[in-house]
Amino acid sequence: MTTNNALSFRILAAVILVIPFMCSSHLTAQTAATKPGGSSSAQKWSVLVDKVDAGDVNLEPAFRIAIYENLLDELTKTKRFKQVFRSGDHSANDVSDLLILKTTVQKYTPGSETRRAVTTVSGATKLNVRTQLCTRDGNVILEKVVDGNVRFLGGNLRATHNLAHNVAGKIKESTLPDPKASAAKDKAAHAMVTSALLVAVPAL
Amino acid sequence: MNYRNISWQAAAVDCLPIRRNLACLILLVWSSTLFAQNPGNAKNPTGALSIGATHVLGFESAPNNATGKLSIEGGALQFQKTEGPATQVSIGSIQNVLLGVEDKQVGGTPMALGRAATPFGGGRVIGLFSHKMYDTVTLEYLDANGGFHGAIFQLNKGKGELLKNQLLASGAHFAKPEEQTTKQSSPEAKNDNK
Repeated sequence: MTTNNALSFRILAAVILVIPFMCSSHLTAQTAATKPGGSSSAQKWSVLVDKVDAGDVNLEPAFRIAIYENLLDELTKTKRFKQVFRSGDHSANDVSDLLILKTTVQKYTPGSETRRAVTTVSGATKLNVRTQLCTRDGNVILEKVVDGNVRFLGGNLRATHNLAHNVAGKIKESTLPDPKASAAKDKAAHAMVTSALLVAVPAL
Repeated sequence: MNYRNISWQAAAVDCLPIRRNLACLILLVWSSTLFAQNPGNAKNPTGALSIGATHVLGFESAPNNATGKLSIEGGALQFQKTEGPATQVSIGSIQNVLLGVEDKQVGGTPMALGRAATPFGGGRVIGLFSHKMYDTVTLEYLDANGGFHGAIFQLNKGKGELLKNQLLASGAHFAKPEEQTTKQSSPEAKNDNK
């Protein structure tokens, strides 16, 4: 009887000791899976920042370059992507889960730092861009219109920093599809097209 | 009470060495200010051009808003910070050099705070006069992997053209002439992409 009691006590103690560890590991796994913004899946994506397209807007070259460089900095800071590549980087060719960030300037209002200092209410530099996150085959998975302004303190180029910060913020708070699911969907679409062609070609 | 009677002529003769010294001193101060006004354009002992510049962003590992000197040495464009290591890119990798002009307030944040603290709208009056035109030089270059980089430098007025000519002479690539100069200090004109 005594030995049985002792044995059951030991088993009970072992169970009591093991249960909290199991629960904590389960909770950790849960939190990792439900991290806000779906970062666990999005971290698998890499991003290539394309050159800024000025479109029909008469944008100064310094602004175009500043937007591009600030976007690279701000996207790296978000830690949302596995790697951030520059436009034309050959090492991005081997990356499978790659998104391309395209930026097109829609509106630009050149401001003046002196006018801001003298009048406070006028002389703001304003930028408005359309950003698209595309896959290699051109599917747009995220599209946003973002503003970047400088109204009071700072030079005109500060508008580009604010713009890049806003773009990175929008990307960070949006949910990106799982790269594997996206690849599977692409494969399925490709297979459907191929089968349709195979059916259609003999009919012709 | 014994007073010596000294004639004006004698006094003038006595003061002559003092005047000469004073003239020499004024000349010295004037010449030193002349040299000080042109610090950003010095030739190295080797004959290479060195221009004072502020790195706005993008040039290799140089920190943003760092002041230093831009020089062309050994087929590379080098930015030497006032304190710290130099960074450089090969001139062959430069794809484009673009010039612009920017009107900026001088004094940075301390001056801006001072303007804001000045009572009776005095800060606005200060702001009206405390601005300066700068040349901005935008470089586009490629790294070893073919990645596109852009760098922006702010130079004293007139120095941008000088740097561009030096880069041209050293073999850098350039864009079409109509894209070269764009004024940044134009009045508010809205450009819409329709």
